[in-house]
Amino acid sequence: MVEIIAITGGKGGTGKSTVATALAYELSKDNKVLLVDADVDCPNDHLILNIKRNHLKIIEQRIPDFDLDKCTKGGACGKVCKTNAIVSIQGKNPIFMQNQCNGCGACEIICPSRAISWASKDIGKIYSGKKDNLDFLSGELKTNQPISEFIVNHLNEEIEKNKEKYDYIIIDTAAGTHCPVIAALENADKVLAVTEPTPLGAHDLEIILQLLDKLKKKGGIILNRSDIGVKKIIESLASKYKTKIIFEIPYSKEIVDSYSKGNPITITDITFVVNK
Amino acid sequence: MKSIVILSGKGGVGKSSIAGSLAVAFSKDKKIVCADCDVDASNLSLLFSLSTDKYVEWKPLSTNQIAIVDEDKCIRCGKCINTCYFNALKFKENIPKINKFGCEGCGACELICPANAISLQDIENAYIGYAKTNYGFSIASAQLLPGNSGSGKVVSEVRKKGNEISKNADLIIIDAAAGIGCPVIASVTGNDYAIIVTEPTPSGFSDMKKALDIVNHFGIKRGIIINKFDLNIKYSEKIESFAKKNNIIIIDKIPFDKSFVKAMTEMIPIIDYDIRYTKIFNNIKEKIQIEMIK
Repeated sequence: MVEIIAITGGKGGTGKSTVATALAYELSKDNKVLLVDADVDCPNDHLILNIKRNHLKIIEQRIPDFDLDKCTKGGACGKVCKTNAIVSIQGKNPIFMQNQCNGCGACEIICPSRAISWASKDIGKIYSGKKDNLDFLSGELKTNQPISEFIVNHLNEEIEKNKEKYDYIIIDTAAGTHCPVIAALENADKVLAVTEPTPLGAHDLEIILQLLDKLKKKGGIILNRSDIGVKKIIESLASKYKTKIIFEIPYSKEIVDSYSKGNPITITDITFVVNK
Repeated sequence: MKSIVILSGKGGVGKSSIAGSLAVAFSKDKKIVCADCDVDASNLSLLFSLSTDKYVEWKPLSTNQIAIVDEDKCIRCGKCINTCYFNALKFKENIPKINKFGCEGCGACELICPANAISLQDIENAYIGYAKTNYGFSIASAQLLPGNSGSGKVVSEVRKKGNEISKNADLIIIDAAAGIGCPVIASVTGNDYAIIVTEPTPSGFSDMKKALDIVNHFGIKRGIIINKFDLNIKYSEKIESFAKKNNIIIIDKIPFDKSFVKAMTEMIPIIDYDIRYTKIFNNIKEKIQIEMIK
């Protein structure tokens, strides 16, 4: 039976990708493992593991295509568009800003003259790759496209299709708590939140722990750079949310050096988190 | 009022630390206000020891709607389910049920429903407010409630709030979220200057280029700060030569310093925690002022 473990954390730069890549690579020595980089805004796992990514597929999103001969210029489409992608003034052709469109389709439904059909735009890509025994998937949002979670949803589809092949699937999420993070946590059996012992790390961790409660996901806390800062604030959060600090990673110059040189990172005993 | 946005793509490179101290530097001779536009994880005010219980104002905000199905009116035709582009509607015991984490509040289901059984309801998806720092300027900020969507719209509200609380300010400093998605786009649009913070790592460089794409898209003047530049001097040089080739100025390079973490832990801006940083941030300030009027 596959176990899907998501690595998240709220605050940026706490070490999510470092933990996800180190864990996945270590596990892959004795297991069938898939690492999924679901930080589609800024995917970096391939840089950390030095993986050459192969293009797997282009992700498209539908956008309206306006037939201006049919358009009666009543302005209804602009009124229903919640993302302000369509500006329509009565008596004038609608102006469409494709970057803002999320493809919802409200404009097509409301159009009284059936002047709207569907075209599509590229919003990103999915790549695959391999590092020794480790399989790898990575999603990447095209810049200036707003809807990151569409790419994450496609990664989820790939996971769903292939999950039987693996013992472990490790999902590395983006920073924050908004839509693409929620989408990346959706299929996880277990969620590990990586944080640092600073007031900012604690603040953002608390939001993630609240989110996990809402999503009814269980997991634990990984405390990175555990010896710089104030550990107490993380411990009290852990007990408030009935979870545990299951692993600590002390500050290490070697990790920082490997990271800045683009070398894969080894964290001693990291696979311990799997059985916790 | 002029506006400066600080972004990076990659998280944890020092955006908020730099934004906070730069704000202090600017506040010495200008009337300024800050907007913490990282509404997923808003913590700029924490650098000034201001948790939300110390805010002047902190109240619920609604920028989102969610679809509600009236079970009595519903004729179970399933049109709403087929229409929803976000797969947020599914039949459950013969009634369309909304997945509130997936619903974008677009209203397509409401429009398609032949029985008028679906309506959109406002939901409180965030808190918004502001705090006053000891330096005399205020910080507008918001926190998206866990599990809610609509961070882009909440960002716009924070920027509005910043303008509202300091009507005659000379400058607004905007701290953007990590990433390059919808909340970051909403933070970057319409600014006079953008500071892209990066670090000398493959990830930092790759994400910096993405942040740059967004800034270029909006045609905003910009400069780069390389934080922790001495972690890998060769890589820093790589970033510098990239900047030179693309005609982007390097505003400054800041060395790796554990004082940043210590200042953060004590919740004091680094500019006031360590005297050496007064000069550094004053230099940064002056450079940006010159760049902005070029």
